[in-house]
Amino acid sequence: MTVGVLIIAAFMIIPLVVGFFAASKSTKTSEDFFIQGRGMGAVAVFFTVAATWWSSFAFLGSNATFYTSGPVYLTALAWNLLFGFMYYWVGKRVWYLGKRFNYITPSDLLGDFYNNEKLRMVVAAILLIFTIPYLQIQLTGGAYLIEVASGGVIPFWFAALIFYFIIVIYVWVGGIRAVAWTDIIYGALLFFGMLFAGIYISQYLGGPTGLFKSLLENSPEHLTLPGPLGTSGYGQWFSLFIVTAIGAFMGPQIWLRMYAVKSGKLFNLMPFLLGFAAIAYMGSVLTGFSGVLLEPDVANADQILPIMLTKYAPFALASLILAAGAAAAMSTANSQIHAISTIVTLDIYQRYANPNASQDKIVKVGRISLVVFSLIAYVMALTVPGVLVTIGIAALAGTAQLIVPTIGAISWRRSHPTAAMWGLIGGVATVLLITFIPAFSAPLGFHAGVWGLLVNSILFILISLKLKRTDEKVVKRFDEARFDYNQEYHPELIDDSIETRKSI
Amino acid sequence: MLSKYPQMKKWLYSMLILVFLILETPFILMANAAEPFVLGLPFFLFWNLLWWLIGTILFFIAYLTDWGSKSVKAKSKSK
Repeated sequence: MTVGVLIIAAFMIIPLVVGFFAASKSTKTSEDFFIQGRGMGAVAVFFTVAATWWSSFAFLGSNATFYTSGPVYLTALAWNLLFGFMYYWVGKRVWYLGKRFNYITPSDLLGDFYNNEKLRMVVAAILLIFTIPYLQIQLTGGAYLIEVASGGVIPFWFAALIFYFIIVIYVWVGGIRAVAWTDIIYGALLFFGMLFAGIYISQYLGGPTGLFKSLLENSPEHLTLPGPLGTSGYGQWFSLFIVTAIGAFMGPQIWLRMYAVKSGKLFNLMPFLLGFAAIAYMGSVLTGFSGVLLEPDVANADQILPIMLTKYAPFALASLILAAGAAAAMSTANSQIHAISTIVTLDIYQRYANPNASQDKIVKVGRISLVVFSLIAYVMALTVPGVLVTIGIAALAGTAQLIVPTIGAISWRRSHPTAAMWGLIGGVATVLLITFIPAFSAPLGFHAGVWGLLVNSILFILISLKLKRTDEKVVKRFDEARFDYNQEYHPELIDDSIETRKSI
Repeated sequence: MLSKYPQMKKWLYSMLILVFLILETPFILMANAAEPFVLGLPFFLFWNLLWWLIGTILFFIAYLTDWGSKSVKAKSKSK
């Protein structure tokens, strides 16, 4: 048990050291604090994106879902591919526009393209409202792990408190650079921890093949859709794919990681790296399925991995892997807290309260909002119960709605602010209605987020086709940006673009 | 308009679309079976891993060919 506490202590101290080291490299500008002066290199980008994207949702939720609902979580393989593809296709364009027009937040881009102040606020509000529950589940997940790894010595409320205390300190001092550097450690721990836990535990059942064979005999419904409960069929398969990938991709924490990138080249490689990393889910398959055979009666499925580890692995190893799980939670939470504070500071404080704020003042407000929002998430973690995957998906369904106006902004000159606004309102309203009114629950088996995106896209396209933008200047500025982007990265498209330009 | 795209780009994007169609349309239900076991894995798991692997390899090829926009290479080198 002492070993467990020691490992957890080390796990908590290392990021602090890294954070202070990162702080020593920083310059005192807000751009450095929020997006590292657009100079983040390849290794940091990959690890911080991957570790931020892989959260407790991936680490605990995946095991829990394989354990309770069968193979539906395998759709994660495809959603990792989709996430990677979007990081290239959408991310590179967002990065390019960000560099060109000096954006730091998601609202900067959407507010600028749609040239509409209300839309800007709606975007900031959606990001804040839907990121907080997702942040809350990170804290819940991380605190579970610490509670179990310490053998119950550290209670849940205290675990969650230490967790946040540490994040706040190193983000406070080091900004996004500290987050990215600690994410390198967390990312590596998380990847190997997930994989290794599964391989180790499945040894008790004669390795992977032995495990699958005995599952086929004892609980064959775990190997096919719709799973043992009969509820996780195609509807859920497709919904998870769409909502998780798009929702996480549109989260402000990932968005900042598009702006922060140093070179456009890197976006070409990211889909491969992000796609490949999905192999770690095989660890969850093995752990979750081993749980079905070895520990069939666990009440809270989110705790299946910690329980299996403490029971079947040597204590030091178990603690190390649990620390990796806490890393998953921590690496997402730190980025989310940082991203939320960025939005509050730049989109709300600087824009509306104090437009002439000095760089020092902006960073200071950023730090204060860090503390405030962490506190809100902490209180929520203690008071709002729920299963990680369910809360996670509901929150992701909200942020996912931003993909429609974003794709519009980077690729379609007709995209109209009124369309973006009504699309978002329609999409978010659909998500909330289906989530909170039981009578509407998941029509045809598809999640609220999928319906939200459908309503959102239809409204967006129809209204954009119907209306015409009057702010030619803005449209033209973005046309030029798109043209230059293609000239640089897709020269084969240029002939077309010239024709389009002539026709304008 | 499509004819202006380089062959490589067309091939890459068609293959990627194929991977997503196989994995995420109701077509996936045709592979929804525990048996036969392939390489020691239940069929459904094997099928998903297979197409995931193909997708990942496609991403690697995409990286090597600058996502089918070859001429970029020459350009960025000259910078």
